[in-house]
Amino acid sequence: MLQILLIAFRNLLAHRRRTLLLGGAIAGVTAVLIVLMSVTNGMKATMLESATTLMSGHVNVGGFYKVTAGQSAPVVTGYPKLIETLKKELPELDYVSQRGRGWAKLISDTSSVHVGISGIDVEGEPGFRKIIQVREGRLDDLNQPGTILIFEEQAKKLEVRVGDTMTISAPTIRGTNNTLDVRVVAIAANVGMMSSWNTFVPSKSLRDLYQLKDDTTGAVYLYLKDMKDIPAVQQRLREKLAEAGYTLMDNDPRAFWMKFEVVNRESWTGQKLDITNWEDEISFVRWVVQALSFLTGFLGFVLLVIIAVGIMNTLWIAIRERTREIGTLRAIGMQRRRVLVMFLTEALMLSLTATLTGAAFASALCLFINAQEVRAPEVVQVMLLTENWFLKVEPGSVTLAVTLITLCAMVVSLIPSFLAARMKPVTAMHHIG
Amino acid sequence: MSLSAEPIVSINEVTKDYHLGKVVVPALRGVTLQVHPGEFISIAGPSGSGKTTLLNLIGCVDTATSGVVRVAGKDTKQLSERKLTDLRLHTIGFIFQSFNLVSVLSVFQNVEFPLLLQKKLNASQRRERVMALLEQVGLANHAKHRPNELSGGQRQRVAVARALVTQPQIVLADEPTANLDSVTGQQIIDLMKAMNRERGTTFIFSTHDAKVMTHANAVVRLADGKVLDRVTPAEAGVALAAGGH
Ligand SMILES: Nc1ncnc2c1ncn2[C@@H]1O[C@H](COP(=O)(O)OP(=O)(O)OP(=O)(O)O)[C@@H](O)[C@H]1O
Ligand SMILES: [Mg+2]
Repeated sequence: MLQILLIAFRNLLAHRRRTLLLGGAIAGVTAVLIVLMSVTNGMKATMLESATTLMSGHVNVGGFYKVTAGQSAPVVTGYPKLIETLKKELPELDYVSQRGRGWAKLISDTSSVHVGISGIDVEGEPGFRKIIQVREGRLDDLNQPGTILIFEEQAKKLEVRVGDTMTISAPTIRGTNNTLDVRVVAIAANVGMMSSWNTFVPSKSLRDLYQLKDDTTGAVYLYLKDMKDIPAVQQRLREKLAEAGYTLMDNDPRAFWMKFEVVNRESWTGQKLDITNWEDEISFVRWVVQALSFLTGFLGFVLLVIIAVGIMNTLWIAIRERTREIGTLRAIGMQRRRVLVMFLTEALMLSLTATLTGAAFASALCLFINAQEVRAPEVVQVMLLTENWFLKVEPGSVTLAVTLITLCAMVVSLIPSFLAARMKPVTAMHHIG
Repeated sequence: MSLSAEPIVSINEVTKDYHLGKVVVPALRGVTLQVHPGEFISIAGPSGSGKTTLLNLIGCVDTATSGVVRVAGKDTKQLSERKLTDLRLHTIGFIFQSFNLVSVLSVFQNVEFPLLLQKKLNASQRRERVMALLEQVGLANHAKHRPNELSGGQRQRVAVARALVTQPQIVLADEPTANLDSVTGQQIIDLMKAMNRERGTTFIFSTHDAKVMTHANAVVRLADGKVLDRVTPAEAGVALAAGGH
């Protein structure tokens, strides 16, 4: 009935101040909620992208090679053929890369640190180039043998600059200690906590260090078009690789460097492959993501409760003021249900307009902040794995916020509306208010 | 005037108590009254005698403590809230002492509202009906105004138009002229009278005003929650005059 809409609309107009106040509050809460979700989504997205590009694929095919039962190396042999097989079996694949894995002592003139060393073919990894921000030197120089990329934090600790030479010392698979001299060619901006334990050298240099053959690598990183496919891909890989004649380790959802002890205790020798995903390899990212999700959920809940109480309170007042009118309308033959619908319409009109306004404002704000390239505080950078805030406005989150808050407003206004509709017409009409 | 055998309002031994905390206030103490279609009845009585209470019971906006209230042949105690609302919408028209218009709707929209609830007429039929009534109450030029832009008399005329627009069988009016000057009050009464003549609509209205009572074809006098008697206006006027008015 159009007249109900009209009454609702005109009542909102008639109480302009209250409408603006309540609508503003609802819009504000919606905006806060959406910005909050965008921050979380942005953090999740950047963290995931950085972490998966630098330290892990979405799905990894790694493994161990054992010369004797007690000595294992995180090595995959014959990787070109393996990659071929993987490409054939996985239509979900976006792109593939491979990294050598190592753990060594990095020695400068004045200091030394223990770090992870990744062997990388830098020209084959456009994603890497996007994430890493070189502050000094050139990333392209990393394809020359005997070079290294380190992070600002490490450069400070080791007191080195681009052009300086350092020595890598690592125990090899045969039990001896090998060393390799490397020249610093690039110093990159810190990438959160990962900058303390990661360095990158050309694949070739890493093989030299460990005296490995040319067709060996540490792990093949698989990047999927859609991360939702990860479990399915993992499952299928287990079957297909077994069919192709590879020996697989049992599923063990932990990072590879936690597995040496177990692998060394087992009696097998030769090559075994291990299939893991990013959550296994970089579990701290998963914890942070989960904590963020929880935090957002909690804050969202608190906001909802606050706005619910506010709406309820204001609606009580609004409905009390109109009790006489309700009585009159009931007396001239308006059904209870209609009265209820009338107030709900009013609540819906107000809250929907307000939430949509809030959503539009919040989305614009997020895009604006992104465009400004605002630097995040250092504490956040550590988690974020990037330097600037990135607010990711997801249509799903916006819809969720708008729906949730509108629904909440409706449910809350149901109570006073219901009580008003239930009143005896004569009681309502004689109400003084 | 010829009255049909079936009364349209039939009240039998009705009592109504109000509860003020622990105190019980008996507003009606056994009222019996019959009103036949086409009657134009005035309910008279001193303040607090129960006039409003009685009209509320007839109008189905309140329920009796005991006794039977039959409106248009239906025992109101037996009806659900839904059915009661329907009865109010289709059979009864209300004119309230304090107008009770919807402030955010225009004069036209206020009068049209019961028709919208009824859903019997289409837009042009509604328009015709409403405008004809507004013409009759002399407010055709004020159709677009809001109630707060009208005088008290004009507002009451809007309320009258709203009560009559559904062409109800019964119109109840609680002191329809109490807030109006005598000339405007007279206009309202004339309007009601015309409706009564033309359509045979039954009117039951309460009033203090002896002059207003003279238009009724019967005066039911209440005192202390009871019906004193049912007299002609002339008799009532004499009685009131004797009472010192
Ligand atoms: N809501 C109520 N609660 C308690 N008592 C009430 C209520 N409404 C009316 N009464 C009492 O019931 C009695 C009848 O009241 P009612 O309003 O019917 O009288 P009335 O004849 O309409 O008076 P008036 O001419 O002043 O309008 C009075 O004693 C009044 O105090
Ligand atoms: Mg009264």
